Amino acid sequence: MNEETAYYEPLQQQRPLLSVKNLSVNYGAIKALKGVSLDVNSGEIVAVIGANGAGKSTLMTAIMGDIRRSGGQILLNGLPLPERSYQVVSAGVSLSPEGRKLFAPLTVYENLEMGAFPLKDKNEIREQMSHVYELFPRLEERAGQYAGTLSGGEQQMLAIGRALMAKPSVLLLDEPSLGLAPIIITEIFKELTAINKTLGMTILIVEQNANKALMLSHRAYVLQTGTIVMEGRSKDLLSNPEIEEAYLGGKKHQ
Amino acid sequence: MGSLIQQIINGLSLGSVYALIAVGYSLVYSVLLFSNFAHGGFLVIGGYICYYALLKGGANIWVASLAALIGSGLSAVAVERMAYKPIRERTSVTLYMLIASMGMSIVIENIFVVTIGGRFRALPPVIPMRTVNILGVASTSASDLLSLAAAVVFLVGLQLFLSKTKWGLAIRAASYNLRIAGLMGVNVNMLISLVFFVAGLLAAIGGIFLSARYSLYPQLGVITTKAFVAAVIGGLGSLPGAVVGSLILGLAEMLAAGFLSSQFRDLIVFGLLIITLIVRPTGLFGKSVGEKV
Repeated sequence: MNEETAYYEPLQQQRPLLSVKNLSVNYGAIKALKGVSLDVNSGEIVAVIGANGAGKSTLMTAIMGDIRRSGGQILLNGLPLPERSYQVVSAGVSLSPEGRKLFAPLTVYENLEMGAFPLKDKNEIREQMSHVYELFPRLEERAGQYAGTLSGGEQQMLAIGRALMAKPSVLLLDEPSLGLAPIIITEIFKELTAINKTLGMTILIVEQNANKALMLSHRAYVLQTGTIVMEGRSKDLLSNPEIEEAYLGGKKHQ
Repeated sequence: MGSLIQQIINGLSLGSVYALIAVGYSLVYSVLLFSNFAHGGFLVIGGYICYYALLKGGANIWVASLAALIGSGLSAVAVERMAYKPIRERTSVTLYMLIASMGMSIVIENIFVVTIGGRFRALPPVIPMRTVNILGVASTSASDLLSLAAAVVFLVGLQLFLSKTKWGLAIRAASYNLRIAGLMGVNVNMLISLVFFVAGLLAAIGGIFLSARYSLYPQLGVITTKAFVAAVIGGLGSLPGAVVGSLILGLAEMLAAGFLSSQFRDLIVFGLLIITLIVRPTGLFGKSVGEKV
């Protein structure tokens, strides 16, 4: 993956697909995000890594319009992203939320249908559904099963599939590795690479599992208590001694 | 034997009216997690719209009922916009909406008292009340059978709407997690309005039958206490629960009235509620309310 980073460099001169400028979010008196700026270019996987409470999920929910932004700007394709969740999804940004948050009493199929809520055209929905089934054949096998009865890995696949159903131009992933066994995480991240390569999907991922996130992504930002403290190409960050010390447990390869 | 069948039919008929009201309660509860005590007001609004459409508008019962259903549904949406939306946009504590709903219940009741007076009114005889003989073993009024039929039609209709349509799916998703339904691209305010419209519409049907059977007055909405009890027995937030709870309650009331004394009716109703709360606090089909931020 790292060899390909070079390929994306010329794109960076273009206008970024998703651009977060000086974003601030407050929970009452607590400042969760203090002027965060980041860019995601078309076709890229960008990771935001950071510890618990750094503001990663806040960043995601703020982009999605799920919490009120107290300052800053978010642009999609140069145009301001709407502030209400349902408009954000229609505009082309969808989220696989932290902890998956599936509709447990609905079937796998119905969960995917919900993901396609902004789409009007039945054929378009069917087409998206077959893309998702192609990526995750296990979801097709379990289409009639209740989402709550799936295993953790399958639930994560469904959460990602559900977000893809909206036909987004940028896919947001909040901690896809949360609570999963290492072997399942490897499988999920392999699929993410495939989603990026074969569908050309632009991905913004926030992760506590810094090693996995940096291996997956082209570029990355380090978020610390609501501020971006470092950014760069993921392969550079992987070998950065500071990052190694703080986020990779002092060893580069696991 | 004949009187047993008779009471069962009466019980099912009463239960079906409770069910129309209880389902509305449960629908609102399942999405917003509070008991809307203004629900009885929607029923009264439906009753009065029907009354005036028949008497002053010269409409037939079908037009009058349609006006009542739509009018009551729209008032429910208006109540939500005025009283609950400002609260839910500021806080996730649902207790405030519960209190607001008590206030709205008093407001609606008194709007009628102030504007058209508190006296009892009888609907013109548009719903047939004649006695119907059932296979020679029991007799019941035609209006009871009609209310039973109307309840079945509307409850089946609601079930089809929830299971077959896109917005129905969205309501089911939202009743599990409203916030995540919003993240899927559902316009949450529109969804909540839709839920209130449906709840108001169903309440109006109950209102029409109740005011035809008894009479119409501003406090008619008090009957929703029984429907609320039925919804709790069935499990708040569960639609099948609301229907089953309503039928149980209707049957229990009518059997008590028929074989003990009609003074035992309320005793039985609240007795069932207390037993449910002790033995199975979430009700027969209740969902346990876990994390919901």
